[in-house]
Amino acid sequence: MNGKTEHNCDTLIVGSGIAGMQAALDIGDAGFNVIMVEKSPSIGGKMISLSKVFPTLDCASCITTPKMAASSHHPRVQMMTYTEVKNISKKADGFEALLIKKPRFVIESECISCRKCEEACPVYLEDEFEYGLGVKKAISIPFTNAIPQFPVLDEEKCIRCGACARVCPKDCIDYLQKPEEITVKAKSVIIATGYEITPMDAKKEYGENKLINVISSLQAERLLAPHGPYGKVLRPSDGKIPDSIAYVQCAGSRDESIGVPYCSRVCCMYAIKQAMLLSGSLPLSEITIYYMDIRAFGKGYEQFYNQARAMGINFVKAKVAKISEDSQHNVILRIDRQEEGSKPQEVKHDLVVLSQGLIPSRKEFFGLDVKLNEYGFIDSPAKTFSPALTGIDGLFVAGVASGPKDIPDTIMEAGSAAMEALNYLKTAKIS
Amino acid sequence: MSKENQKEENAVNESYRQKPKVAVYVCHCGGNISDVIDVKRVAAELSKYPNVAISREYAFMCSSTGQDFVVDDIKNNGINRVVIAACSPFLHELTFRGALNRAGLNPYLYEHVNIREQSSWVHKNDKEGATLKAISLVKAGVEKILRQDPLNSIRVEALHSVAVIGAGIAGLRAALSCAENGLDVTIIEKSDSIGGNLRRSGNIYPTGEKASSIPENLSKKVLSMKNVKIYTQAEISFVGGYVGNFQLNVKKSDGNFEKVKAGAIIVATGFNHYIPHEGEYGWKKSTFVLTLPQFNELLEQSAGSEIEIEGKKIKSVAFMHCVGSRQIDGIDKPGKNGKVNDYCSRICCTAIIHSANRLKEKFPYVDVFDIYTDMRTYGMHHEKYYKDASKNDVIFFRRPLEERPVVEIGSDSIKIKTKDVLTMNEEMEIEADVLVLGTGIVPNDISDLVEYLKLPRGSDSFLQEVHPKLRPVEVSNNGIFIAGTAQGPMDVMETLQAANTAAVKAAALLSSPDIPLDPFVAVVDEDKCTGCGLCLAECSYSGALTMMEKEVNGKKKKVAVVNPALCKGCGACVAVCEPRAINVAGWTLDQFDAMVEAIAKE
Repeated sequence: MNGKTEHNCDTLIVGSGIAGMQAALDIGDAGFNVIMVEKSPSIGGKMISLSKVFPTLDCASCITTPKMAASSHHPRVQMMTYTEVKNISKKADGFEALLIKKPRFVIESECISCRKCEEACPVYLEDEFEYGLGVKKAISIPFTNAIPQFPVLDEEKCIRCGACARVCPKDCIDYLQKPEEITVKAKSVIIATGYEITPMDAKKEYGENKLINVISSLQAERLLAPHGPYGKVLRPSDGKIPDSIAYVQCAGSRDESIGVPYCSRVCCMYAIKQAMLLSGSLPLSEITIYYMDIRAFGKGYEQFYNQARAMGINFVKAKVAKISEDSQHNVILRIDRQEEGSKPQEVKHDLVVLSQGLIPSRKEFFGLDVKLNEYGFIDSPAKTFSPALTGIDGLFVAGVASGPKDIPDTIMEAGSAAMEALNYLKTAKIS
Repeated sequence: MSKENQKEENAVNESYRQKPKVAVYVCHCGGNISDVIDVKRVAAELSKYPNVAISREYAFMCSSTGQDFVVDDIKNNGINRVVIAACSPFLHELTFRGALNRAGLNPYLYEHVNIREQSSWVHKNDKEGATLKAISLVKAGVEKILRQDPLNSIRVEALHSVAVIGAGIAGLRAALSCAENGLDVTIIEKSDSIGGNLRRSGNIYPTGEKASSIPENLSKKVLSMKNVKIYTQAEISFVGGYVGNFQLNVKKSDGNFEKVKAGAIIVATGFNHYIPHEGEYGWKKSTFVLTLPQFNELLEQSAGSEIEIEGKKIKSVAFMHCVGSRQIDGIDKPGKNGKVNDYCSRICCTAIIHSANRLKEKFPYVDVFDIYTDMRTYGMHHEKYYKDASKNDVIFFRRPLEERPVVEIGSDSIKIKTKDVLTMNEEMEIEADVLVLGTGIVPNDISDLVEYLKLPRGSDSFLQEVHPKLRPVEVSNNGIFIAGTAQGPMDVMETLQAANTAAVKAAALLSSPDIPLDPFVAVVDEDKCTGCGLCLAECSYSGALTMMEKEVNGKKKKVAVVNPALCKGCGACVAVCEPRAINVAGWTLDQFDAMVEAIAKE
């Protein structure tokens, strides 16, 4: 462990997805100092990896990059990326957080983001930003519009060939860099740690992640992104353009057997959105959505759903009982159609997307004694007064950390948490 | 752009006075543009254009790296004017003005050319045409910026006070947060008491508490704040002023008028329950057809072992979803505005299930039927309520999306005929003592306020935010924020969060002593002005333009005078001014002429 540094701020925000960034901007704009800490190498969260967003069909980058740029340039917002929060403890005068800044193996103060190291590196890895659909180098900048634009070296996969160090014009590759301990003293804290999606193998009837042409919803986002891994929609097994694509709804929500009995709120809408984008890029393909209930409940969402139906996307009320494949890796769905009295039927599709649900990104919250509900989301004791409150003075929550929700709802919560934090800073007796 | 950036704009370098050196950047928008437009060719063409010193293309100009190019070229390569060809200025104009600011260049020496919405997206199948069009548009942008003077934002003083219109939970929550933030708050409520719709909504999810206790808890806090004033039975008769300094004329309950001054306005005018047409699912044809709020009130008031209406013991109740929501043109009867409510009202499914469960818990003997089309129990524990309803033996019927159940009022009961998806589209007949209509949410009638504040409304008649993600509680009029169900259907928690977001925007806006406004307002060349007054007749912003006697070049004459805080820069005055004496700063006639010239030359 390298040296220790100490920082002070008015509000520490844990997480830099859309919730964290929005809260940081609102607090910074009101004149208070924020430290926003992010465990990934770039800020932006899940949203920056999405294709387009419902119901406006703005490209996700177009909405997220300005927020990323604004928070990184904000004079009152300091970001700490690639930094894990180990522990947060409540003290008499606020909070004390212990952070570990992970080594990028690059001297950040020297790096000019020229990407020469990335070009020189001979080691190819699965690219997690593309959810495994693309490749990256063992030393690479996380993605095109990442902030900050520093490369990260994968310590385990690096073969120590020295190619990157030899081409670096600033001589800033440091193979011996160590994790750094950082202490942050904050008067208030906002938890905006977001979510993970239910694992592909959560439901054993759905192929346990072994069927190559059954992809995750986030992979589908990348296939559809304007700057995605292939630039077009291809199915993984043979690179064929799929003629028939299906969405399996509630593949990770409303299902007690996998421990996620709640509705994840976004899956209907993102499936409809993806289906619309697919029908734009593959006008000849058949697209089917197998669903229980279409939950288009947000502003403009029902109209969006109607538009999708008018575009010819098939909506089929059916439960998918089992997913398997044939010898050509075509996907076979065993479905029970509600309208036909649940007679099981087998249908074949070239490509299948699982509409996975949202689960909390963490099991516990940095040692803070915050109340969680039975599904592991932060449970507000003040739901009908101010849902951003957590029951701990000075600690607030925003976004999916308190339960699944879409981007507009998340942004509202971020503003709300910022409001509560500001008023806490103004009125509470904290030095 | 953050306020901080704007504050720095006075720290301007003087390089614009030197020979123009324009930098042009063509953004790929990650493929949104470059998949159609040959961005390399656009950049190459522009590099040959007069006065263009640098011409580049890049994947995402809005990213940190992209912005760094701009900053670096200004600082190190002597660039004094910038053109970026990218998305709509609506998205990123402010982003790039911020970059100029950071580089020390006046942020208005920047021109944002939209080659995405105006070229690549609309000419997908004509790559050559789209590329040529982009080249023309960027050249026009260069011509425009060559004729651009540096501008400074207009600064107006900010009153540290907020007017909150509406005292439902959204208004109360927003008022409380603003007051805690130190702002003076005036709440203006039309009805005779505070609390809004929740005062009479029975028992409510997710807490199972009495709905009225929610506004009660909030108002207790609000009333304890010294800096909050509340007017009930008050009506707004006029709103004047501008961001930082609004004046609201309020007619109080005693008939007297009060002038309320506010730096910002929060509109929290809430919702109304949909009222069915006479005959819609038996509405008004029987006293046993109730709306959900009516039924909830009955349910809360019913004690003992039986639930009764007019002395009749109720043995069965049917709930009908989507009454006044998810309506379809040609199937459902349009409302007074000639439109059907094609939106989902969001809260009714869970509210119905919650009531059905309450009914079964209180009066287990009652048979309960539920006729739905998609069960939208989306919230954290709503799915559990739905499960509980099944356990409580609520019987569900699922009607096809485009079918409408038929209601027949019998002498002793109500008959509901519907197709049921759950039983292979069989025609079902349900007999019940009571039919409860799950009525949706409609915005309150606030047409007068809409006019005073020039509030935009969406096709669903709710107030329309600028952008659901970028500016979710703002309207195009500066300093006015919307909170709660005036914007669209929301449940209690969502409403409170939205109200707090409106409050935080108001608090941030009023956190400094003055507010910067865009400098794109009308400017009068007093030499050229003939004092004819034609412009005055065209101006739709009261107080923005006046005629005044002034001394110009030693002679007294009548000239048009602009109040920059009230002028919206619409340009209506410019169009009628024959001597070309009025221009909108940043959009002068000379600039337009040059742009047209550049495009027409091709």
